[in-house]
Amino acid sequence: MRNYILSFIALILLPAYMSGQVIKGKVLDKNGVGMPGAIVVSSTANTDTDFDGNFNINAKVGETLKVTMLGFEAVSVAATVAPMTIKMQDSQDTALKEVVVIGYGTRKKSDNTSATTSIKAEDISRTKVLNASQAIQGKAAGVQVIASDLPGSTPTVVIRGLGTALGGRSPLYVVDGMPVDNINNINTNDITSYDILKDASALAIYGNRAANGVILITTKKGSGDKITVEFDSYAGFRNALKNVKMAGSNKYSYYSNQALGNTTFSQDQPTNTDWYKAITRTGSYTQNNASLSGASEHIKYFFSLGYYDEKGILDGLDYSRLTFRNNNDFKISKKINLSQNFSVGFSHSTPKPLSAFTNAYKQSPIVPVYFPSGQYGVSFVGANGFASTTGSAFNNVGNPVAQLNFFDEQQKSITMQGGLKLDAELFKGLKFTSQFNTEYYTWKNYNYEDTQNIWLAADPTRVATTYSATANINVLTKENEDYFNWNLSNYLVYNKLIGAHDIELMAGVEQSSKGAREHIKISRKNVNANENYWSLSGVDYAANILSLTDVVSNQARLSSYFGRFQYKLMDKYLITGTIRRDGSSQFAKDYRWGTFPSVGLGWIISKENFLADVKGIDLLKLRGGWGKLGNQNVPLNNQSFASGLDGYLGGSILYPGVTVNSQVDPSLSWEITEEKTVGLDFELLDRRLKGSVDLYHKNTNNLILYTKPYLTAGVGSTSPAHVGAVSNKGYELSLRWDDKINDHLSYWIGGNFSSNKNELTSLSNPNLPDLTGGSLGNGQWTKMLNNTSIGQPLGSFFLYDYAGYDTSGQMQYFKADGSIVSQGLLGIEDRKYVGSILPKSTYGITLGVNYKNFDFSVDGYGTNGSKVYNGKKAQRFSGENIEDVLATDFFTTNNTTAANPAPFNQVPVASTYYLESGDFFRINNITLGYKLPIKKAFISSARIYCNAINPFITQKFTGFTPELNGDGNPYGSQGIELDAYPVLRSFVLGANLKF
Amino acid sequence: MKKLYISAFVLSALFFTGCSNDFLDTEQTEAISTTDLDLFNNDAGAQGFVTAIYSKFNDWDMSSFSWIGLTSIASDDADKGSSPGDTGSDKDLLDALTYNASSGSVEEVFTANYQGINRCNQALYYLPQLDKADANLRTRLTGEAKFLRAFMYFTLVKTYGGVPIVDHLPNPSSEADRVMQLTRKSPTEVYAFIVADLTDAIAALPTKGTYAASEKGRASQGAAYALLSKVYLYQKEWKKALDNANLVVGYSLVTDYASQYKLSGENDAESIFEIQGTGSTPAKGIQGYSATQGARGAGGWGWGFNTPSMSLVNAYENGDVRKNATIIFAGTTLYDGRVVPTTVENPRYNYKAYSSAYTDAWESDANIKYLRYAEVLLIKAEAMNELGQTTTAIPILNDVRKRAGLLSTTAVSQADVRTAIWKERRVEMAFEHDRFFDLVRTGQAKTAFTTDGKNFTVGKNEVFPLPQKFLSEANGLSTQNPGY
Repeated sequence: MRNYILSFIALILLPAYMSGQVIKGKVLDKNGVGMPGAIVVSSTANTDTDFDGNFNINAKVGETLKVTMLGFEAVSVAATVAPMTIKMQDSQDTALKEVVVIGYGTRKKSDNTSATTSIKAEDISRTKVLNASQAIQGKAAGVQVIASDLPGSTPTVVIRGLGTALGGRSPLYVVDGMPVDNINNINTNDITSYDILKDASALAIYGNRAANGVILITTKKGSGDKITVEFDSYAGFRNALKNVKMAGSNKYSYYSNQALGNTTFSQDQPTNTDWYKAITRTGSYTQNNASLSGASEHIKYFFSLGYYDEKGILDGLDYSRLTFRNNNDFKISKKINLSQNFSVGFSHSTPKPLSAFTNAYKQSPIVPVYFPSGQYGVSFVGANGFASTTGSAFNNVGNPVAQLNFFDEQQKSITMQGGLKLDAELFKGLKFTSQFNTEYYTWKNYNYEDTQNIWLAADPTRVATTYSATANINVLTKENEDYFNWNLSNYLVYNKLIGAHDIELMAGVEQSSKGAREHIKISRKNVNANENYWSLSGVDYAANILSLTDVVSNQARLSSYFGRFQYKLMDKYLITGTIRRDGSSQFAKDYRWGTFPSVGLGWIISKENFLADVKGIDLLKLRGGWGKLGNQNVPLNNQSFASGLDGYLGGSILYPGVTVNSQVDPSLSWEITEEKTVGLDFELLDRRLKGSVDLYHKNTNNLILYTKPYLTAGVGSTSPAHVGAVSNKGYELSLRWDDKINDHLSYWIGGNFSSNKNELTSLSNPNLPDLTGGSLGNGQWTKMLNNTSIGQPLGSFFLYDYAGYDTSGQMQYFKADGSIVSQGLLGIEDRKYVGSILPKSTYGITLGVNYKNFDFSVDGYGTNGSKVYNGKKAQRFSGENIEDVLATDFFTTNNTTAANPAPFNQVPVASTYYLESGDFFRINNITLGYKLPIKKAFISSARIYCNAINPFITQKFTGFTPELNGDGNPYGSQGIELDAYPVLRSFVLGANLKF
Repeated sequence: MKKLYISAFVLSALFFTGCSNDFLDTEQTEAISTTDLDLFNNDAGAQGFVTAIYSKFNDWDMSSFSWIGLTSIASDDADKGSSPGDTGSDKDLLDALTYNASSGSVEEVFTANYQGINRCNQALYYLPQLDKADANLRTRLTGEAKFLRAFMYFTLVKTYGGVPIVDHLPNPSSEADRVMQLTRKSPTEVYAFIVADLTDAIAALPTKGTYAASEKGRASQGAAYALLSKVYLYQKEWKKALDNANLVVGYSLVTDYASQYKLSGENDAESIFEIQGTGSTPAKGIQGYSATQGARGAGGWGWGFNTPSMSLVNAYENGDVRKNATIIFAGTTLYDGRVVPTTVENPRYNYKAYSSAYTDAWESDANIKYLRYAEVLLIKAEAMNELGQTTTAIPILNDVRKRAGLLSTTAVSQADVRTAIWKERRVEMAFEHDRFFDLVRTGQAKTAFTTDGKNFTVGKNEVFPLPQKFLSEANGLSTQNPGY
């Protein structure tokens, strides 16, 4: 078509054209291969090159010919009589060829109509952490990452607000086309791009798994024409970023004596144990990576091997991971390409109970780690007021060091992922892709409980001979789990350019299967004390088995059709439409199919005539969209027979009984989120200033919660039903300035800000059981979701309102009517909603300078408007240690204006007294690198670097860390500091070598 | 050619997805899916649905602490017992007749009976589908389920007055079913439903004698007649009560009253319907039934609740063997040689809940006798007396008295015989969960409670309140009983 247009133009210009001659030539790329489609322009004519890069054009000899091609630097050369050879170099301006990964394909960034954030490999590998999602914290607007430095843990990622209470909350990860739940097995160094799809018009192509957002991870491929070998190694030390100062033994004794109203404890203690120190060590971690990659005409290859090893700060808590990856691309013919990827990750860990942190916080400093007798210290106080091996127990806290030493557990897992992808060009413009991926996971665990010795250690006066003869000497629990998942997708992409109309059509089918996951758990008593002899040949352990469970979870299958239509008119007006139809095996037959459409519109304003001449505006694009997304990862309601309701009917025969003890709403299906969004992308001042603004409104109108059957239904168990609506409204800003002052100096500075308002907007069924959560382990709970929660954000704290202490120093609370009472007179109606663990806004900053061989960068992250609960502090005194600030300023008859109430021995109710601001700002990473000026043929680059990870934080929270992922559940332990692993500060030194 | 292959591949891929509905039919593996009813489509499977109903009667909430509270502690036969400070959560309120709609016992009994009714409805829903089970067996099992459903509705109507009639499995999405579950029916409607179920049961059930030795606990035709007779008694339909009582045949009074409450007396010749407790492993006893009523304190074995009142002690005539068979007195020796020392906290305990072999076990071998031939005789006597056949009623009453070691009644007039029968019912069936309802039925409640030192409010205390939770759910579809 373009040829016709050009010919037409040529005809108009015929008179001038006549005055020149035909100049012949060939346009080549940097490798000397002919480039089809390059545009050659003379003063009077223009043409484009043929399939082999050849062109003929009418021009005068000596006249300047301009050759242009998208993605390459324009070339101007004088026309010669002799056939010309014109070589083109890759464009420096990456904006022209920058593509973004979208579901089932890629799109030129400038033509994308949806909200996506691409994070480049170097931004991910810069922060030295295990999981790539932790590394992106603060780097993408609208993406909240709640990380934990617990070795091997998975960060929580929330994209544009939380839309579910009971369903799956994490985004769908798609690694090289394979949908997976977790990316802990992916070596961060193997990732080439990390693309976050944020709005419905980008997400709807993933249908009923898309509601929490999708993260597309692409791993590396070989490139270049020679073999590249790269080594990257670093080692670092880690310590808690913040500590809480506890009372020393004399202050503890003073406080305790005051609390008990006697002189049990000596004011001159011989022991002052820092329990936190006793259970921690300086953590360390190293990662070593080697990769080999390259490409030839027919094959691209990439191999990598990585080993990550961490010694956690909690004594004995170790984690290591070995990863291997091989990605190959085979060019079978000009039109057929086959790529293969394979990865395997082995992880090994020795977990330790995080409750040791709470016990270290609570255990009294007068207790020694070990008594002089060599026995573990216990909280017994002797007549002299010192800790003693005999006497009465003054608290119920165990020895945290003993706890860690006795805790013997080991976990091993292997995750294998691999797949094949075939790309074939069937006809001109029509491409077919078939991709098959598999994942196999196996996990093993043992836990050894030294029951008798734990019993002995709890009281130094105990002797083995008094140990109950029928009690277990020890208990060994072994667990095994495995599953196999697969995914097959087939799709066709058709491209056609008709004049000013640029059309792309895509249609495909996909099937996937997850599971069945099998979990076997066996507990055995009285095994050999030597772990080598736990599993002997020729021994039948049946008599010692305490429990055996074997669960094969339901398999989940998905079958889908999807299609996408992308249309661009005159390079300015963009329309994208997608549709996906998903069928899920998890729902009842008549309710298993759902359709998820979306539409996206874009207008590249900067290409309009009225802006063409405006200096300083390189890109101005307005885009907007609407779409429907699903979350199929919701509680299921497969109805089942309840057995075990056995009975005797007058004799000695036990008859089995069976019934159905659940009520099922057959119409239960996925949660649906609808999103409207509008955004503006801009690039100004020679593309030095780039940024975007996004507004969105998401509604989940069929939120699933558990409902109670009516009393008269006679059904005991609650059942899930669509009863609620949640809205997320927000905006995102991101801005970045990049400048190159000269060849030696370049710098950038950028930042992003995201604000989200989360709200439970309605509930349709009044028969909801109270969903209470955020347990403090002492009978108190802190969070609530029921009919009173409408208008509140999810994850809201529901607490009694602290009203100061009374004249005797006892804590007081407001009742609903405003009166002030002590805790015994409170009822649930006096609780109030006092804010959520979900932040109202998050922000990130980044800046960096490259000067000659040095590179320097800083990344920071902060949150605003969230609340955290100081759960370890919210315990009764009961002979436990207290914080230093409390020990020095508490209510007594001589100090009636103290900052803290008088000591109390009852469990304090969950109240605002322990609720604190979760706001913080933290420098996540500082990197300083230096490229060694080595000019050896075999070394292409050598760089050494050092990092400071989490070097600084400002926080209002008085505990260890306000970033509390807990179990990742907003109605679980998220946002509560209890048994929590602190955030770490790390210093890292590393080197990177390329050959 | 290559293009052809590829096109074929593409087409086959699309075709593969075309069959995707089958692909999505995955089998449930975590729990037995209700779609796999085939597993139960046999005789044993069919029986399982009904066994589950019987097993509900062993539950704590169905037959134990709360039920004891409503039927015994709230009556004039018993006091709360236990330590003065131990309220048993609300047993003190039941004892004083000051309970309310939020009292836990009131809610528990209501909920438990509807859970049992759900199991009946499950059985009645599935039994017709189990076509590979023996047809006669299914008929019998249907009869058992209907008997048990009637039994529970009778419990509900006696306890709460009119209640919603849930006669099939409700669909949670159905508005009609929502209304059914939340709307109270009148007592008359409930009684009509009970009569209908029992009529069906009578037609389907065999006599007790035809059951195998290990299945004597199942509902029999005799049990259905006896219950129907009692249901008519409550409606003062004397003729029908008498007719049905006359159809209860094949039973006789055992000679030793006390033997009925020992392991050896379970399912004896006098027993018409009882709840089976078994203490041997695996234990399936009535949860906490013996333990809650066992002697408390030093030398005791239980919680010490539901202690026989002085009013009951005084009700026994001299020489009545039933007194010492019903009441454990502190400082005495039990039939198995166990000495109950005087150090126990309360002077008297319920002997009928005592288990000799599993004394302090949570699930003991104690049974609950709900229908005995002695009661059928008393129903007969009462119905006859009300029908004007006082002279034929007296010998029947005397049969019951004779077995208890008493002389013939001295009552002659219809009114005196009526009072004598009522009194006889009390001492014959003390602690068999009948007294409270009998007081209300016969209109003696106000007087009896006054004697017992409690304030019974006429027009209110005849029935217990509906649970507050139910009324909140009903949201206006049902109203509370008067006075609450």
